[in-house]
Amino acid sequence: MRNRLCFLLMAVVAFALMAGDSVCLAADSSAKGLSGEIPIAGVWSLTGDAAVYGPSQKNASELAVDEINKSGMLGEAKLKLITEDDRSTKEGAITAFDKLIKKDKVIAILGPTLSNSAKASNPIAQDAKVIVLGVSNTASGIVEIGDFIFRDSLPESVVQPNTVKITRDKLGYNKVAVMYGDDDVFTKGGYDVFKKVLDDSGIKILTIETFKKKDTDFSAQLTKIKGLNPDQIIVSALAEEAAGILTQARQLGIPDSVHIIGGNGFNSPKLAQLAGPAAEGAISGAAWFVGNDTPGNKKFVEEYNKKTGSNPDQFAAQAYAGVYIIANAIKNAGSSNPQAVRDALAKTKDLDTVLGKFSFNEKRDPVHFPVVQTIKNGKFELFK
Amino acid sequence: MTQLPQQLINGVWQGAALALFAMGYTLVFGVLNVVNLAHGATFMWGAFIAFVCVTKLNLSLWYSIPVAMIGAGFMGVLLDRLAFKPLRSLTAGSLVMWAGFLVLLTGMLGDWSPGTRRVVILSGSVVLLAGLIQDFRSVRPLRQREVPHLAPMISSIGATFILVSLAMGEFGAQVSRFPMNLFPIKPYQLTSNAVISPIQALVLVLSLTLMIILHLLIKRTQMGRAIRGIAWSERTSRLLGINVDFVIAQTFFISGALAGAAGVLLGLAFNRLEPTMGHEVELAGLTVIIVGGMGSIGGAALAAFLVGMIRVLSVAYIDSSFRDAFVFGLLILVLLIRPSGMFGRSKVSRA
Repeated sequence: MRNRLCFLLMAVVAFALMAGDSVCLAADSSAKGLSGEIPIAGVWSLTGDAAVYGPSQKNASELAVDEINKSGMLGEAKLKLITEDDRSTKEGAITAFDKLIKKDKVIAILGPTLSNSAKASNPIAQDAKVIVLGVSNTASGIVEIGDFIFRDSLPESVVQPNTVKITRDKLGYNKVAVMYGDDDVFTKGGYDVFKKVLDDSGIKILTIETFKKKDTDFSAQLTKIKGLNPDQIIVSALAEEAAGILTQARQLGIPDSVHIIGGNGFNSPKLAQLAGPAAEGAISGAAWFVGNDTPGNKKFVEEYNKKTGSNPDQFAAQAYAGVYIIANAIKNAGSSNPQAVRDALAKTKDLDTVLGKFSFNEKRDPVHFPVVQTIKNGKFELFK
Repeated sequence: MTQLPQQLINGVWQGAALALFAMGYTLVFGVLNVVNLAHGATFMWGAFIAFVCVTKLNLSLWYSIPVAMIGAGFMGVLLDRLAFKPLRSLTAGSLVMWAGFLVLLTGMLGDWSPGTRRVVILSGSVVLLAGLIQDFRSVRPLRQREVPHLAPMISSIGATFILVSLAMGEFGAQVSRFPMNLFPIKPYQLTSNAVISPIQALVLVLSLTLMIILHLLIKRTQMGRAIRGIAWSERTSRLLGINVDFVIAQTFFISGALAGAAGVLLGLAFNRLEPTMGHEVELAGLTVIIVGGMGSIGGAALAAFLVGMIRVLSVAYIDSSFRDAFVFGLLILVLLIRPSGMFGRSKVSRA
């Protein structure tokens, strides 16, 4: 509570400063290109349901902004990062976007954390012609909102087919049970993709069970699934619910040979923390892996560790890469005019990031290679 | 059909935990005719008290459960004295308590240095305690009040917000969990297709034990007789020389302790503690006590098992998307057929 008060005070001071700065900036940037402070923002779920993801995004984006400002990548100009908490809700995201666009006059917003919120808040930015770079939105229907909406997070529709193909090659399964949260855009979207992939590859779906956000008890669904003897269980859930499912599956005596295969929601170290030994063997498709051999990845993991004392997760990596992608576009545009930066952003091609060679396709969706990872001894490892 | 035995076990152990929660809920309603909506917050705090005992104080779980129950019980008493009793009869003690409580809140929420913080919290607690004692000793209230039934309910909603915010400040909005090694994860094999995990067995045994204790307490002791007396008529009990406010405090203690026990047990079973964990069980609990008949303890226990069963069976044989629809469908059905609930009777015969 004391931290929150502190934060509020700081935020108030920051707003006061920002209001002054952005006015100067408008005059500067049109006159002599890049100088002064360029305001960008991060909207993260720092509290609420998705609070397992938001803080790592915040830390990683701060790290990237610091590095960029220190390196002089933007010449005289510096990035100014404003962080807002959307409390994991649509309403929170809308309020944050409103404030950032109207008051702070940011040129680009990273986030919001949840696809559910992005669908509600991104149209505001599109109307105001402010760039949005989603760094963790993987549901469908996000970039379709408009030409100012980008994302660097691989959509489930790219990651999942890869996950199913690779795990099927190794584990050889033919019948699965599916569980998903039916009251969230992201988990429902993940389910739609899984269903399509499974149908396309001729894998039999024994049953489809649903649950709700914040549910704690999954034993009824899992008992039903256990009775049907599936080879694997496919789950589209956020980390907190996923942890409950993993734990209760093992409590009900579903054997370890039945792996629980998930989507993007699994890709947080919190999953292993929350589910403990029950998380062993959980498999998920991911856009990034901690041991990736991509440019700058090793340095990123080290620096992040230095800053926070723990390893980054995929969401941290995507937020980190997101800041670099925006900075690169600002540099290429040679201006902080949102329209110019947007055009430069859309041309991003084979940029070296921690996610690998990064490009945007014509739909402003990211293009790079996904990985499949599994939890072993409480840590993510490449699935082999 | 192979899943049936397992589903029955799932329903029974969860029904048992829900019954613990609902019995305390309905007990307070029976005595005061007040729906204590802060019962869910007491439930949550019970879980967090045990959490602090286990993680910070390194107590074993077997001590933590009673500590959490007693802690949650006292929280129930404080709740009565701060949120409900001033609405019935205001004493000088109530005012002192409120002053102490505000100092305590300032201490917990303000931006103090650790030393000052401790002093402010401590002095707040001392004043609060003094007010509590004064409140218990006071014979003649400053004002005897007749407030509408809605007022205590709204005041309990306020109490919920305060309790949840305090927990958020203290433990954060994120999910906390008990250490993993408290219970083995490997289940006991009961029959060829039914298992029960150690923690679920513990929930079941402990809940049933507490239910029997509560039953004996209400039916066989002087205190239980006083509680039933007040439920029947507060005025008559007062005339007969029963210390009504003290008995109400006892009722809140029992109710809080039961909520606390349910909180610890469900917190352990799902290993997911968060400040808002009371909301969902609150709704389920409300359904249970309405279905069981407001104020009827046995009815609440039975209805809890019924709701537990409907939840699992609707998933097992119909569709998991409609789970809550079936539970609330039951609620509407009962209200249509027997508006007073399965075991609800008129106020006279409830005693």
